[in-house]
Order: sequence, then C-alpha cells, then structure tokens
Amino acid sequence: MSRARWLAPLSVAGLLLMVPAGKAAAHLDSTNGCKGSGTFREDGLFVDAETVGDDVVTIPRSDTVDWEGSVAAPPGDYSGNIAVDLPPPFGKLEIDSWSGTSDNTGNAGSREYDLPSLVPAGVEFKVIGSHTDQNGVCNGYVRMQIDGGPFDSPLTPISLVGTAGAGAGLAGVLRPLFRKVAP
Amino acid sequence: MSVGRTIAAGLLGLLFLLFVALDLVFFGVVPLNSVLVTILPAVGLVLGLLAGILAGKRKPHPAQLPPPVVQSGNPV
Repeated sequence: MSRARWLAPLSVAGLLLMVPAGKAAAHLDSTNGCKGSGTFREDGLFVDAETVGDDVVTIPRSDTVDWEGSVAAPPGDYSGNIAVDLPPPFGKLEIDSWSGTSDNTGNAGSREYDLPSLVPAGVEFKVIGSHTDQNGVCNGYVRMQIDGGPFDSPLTPISLVGTAGAGAGLAGVLRPLFRKVAP
Repeated sequence: MSVGRTIAAGLLGLLFLLFVALDLVFFGVVPLNSVLVTILPAVGLVLGLLAGILAGKRKPHPAQLPPPVVQSGNPV
C-alpha cells in the first residue's frame, strides 16, 4: 500500500489535533496554542478538533481535503509525528513525521486521497499526533473510521473463512472430548 | 496424553480466537487498538492447550474401539 495514500487523511487527522488547550476535550493537551481544521470537498464534512471531542469522525474512502493549521507564535525549531495506535503490545505505527525550523505561524493546503479497498471500513482507529516547538507541545488524538460496511474490504470474508477453518480444525482435534467415555 | 494433539489444539485455539478478534474489529464491534485483540489469541492458546490435554486423557468408549485383531494360529 502506498504510504502517500495513507498520508492525506491521517495528516488531516494529525492537523486536527493541533488545537488550543480545550479543557472540555479531554484528549487534547496543548501548551503552544496550536489549532487546525479540515474540510472534505465532496463529502462536505468539516472537522475541527476543538468541537470533535471524543466523537468518532467518519471519513469518506476518497476525497480532497482542504486543511489549515496554526500555532500561536513563531515555532522556531519544531518536530512532530502522526501515528496509528495499535493494540498492545504493538505500540504505534508511525505514518508521518516532520522537523525543521520556521518562523511561520500557519500553513494551509489541499490533499487528494484514495484509500485502497483493502483498508476495512467501519473500523474505529485512533490516530495520535504530537507537535513540539520552542513554545510548547501539542499532543492529542482523534478517533476515525472509514465510511462503509464490513464487506467493503476483502479482508472481512478472509477473516470469516479463517474463523470457520480454525474452528473446524479445533473441533476435529478436540473430538475425543465430545465422545462417550469408558465407564 | 498426546503431545501432538495438545500442541495442535493450542495453535488452533490461538488461530481461532485470533480470527474471532479480527472479525470483531472488521465488524466494528471493538476498535483497532482494543486490548481484546491481544488478549483473545492468548486466551485461545491457553484454552486450546488445556482442552488438548483433556482430550488426550479421554479414554474412548469400548463400543468405539476397533475390533481386536485375532491372529490365526499356525499348526505346528
């Protein structure tokens, strides 16, 4: 799967994390006054992390996102990353990272993306973002899922067949447990 | 006790509950980062091993045993 195909929606998710320290949104923690938002052109979905809270954001499988983000003061030396949170003990899968030096306090752009059908729809995943600059840090996460049903991905029937196959094999191996025992 | 049966039951138990965990994720019942995705395969391995040990200790019912082989005696 192309790394770039993941980047756009997840980068937008990362940008959405860069919001001011909204105490009502428990998953945000910012000391550098960062903020961000994104608009999905075809879907019309507008997402601002300040208002998202802990809601699950359902994104289309393909679209173009107009994004913008900013920090309160010139960042100077900065670095950050975006990652998908995996089940323990696997930690995080880093999607993108950045670093450099800048005096700009804001940025904006557009990004077209088209996630492959292999990526399952309707699965909630947590995207974690972190940005550090001379003025502080901005940490947080957003919960996302792709619009659609479980059978939009070929992985679902494969998993169901695997379940049936492993279950049948297990029943076969454990067949003596279901037999009558000698008195 | 059959060691082969025990190991096979453990591996199949792990696989079975691993696929069940994936099914739960794909059907949106649990999120991708749920600890259940980690726990279920481990539980499957342990339960499979235990069930394999129990299955190896079970004696089959006499009615299910194959008939004894009768050797025909050679006249001396």
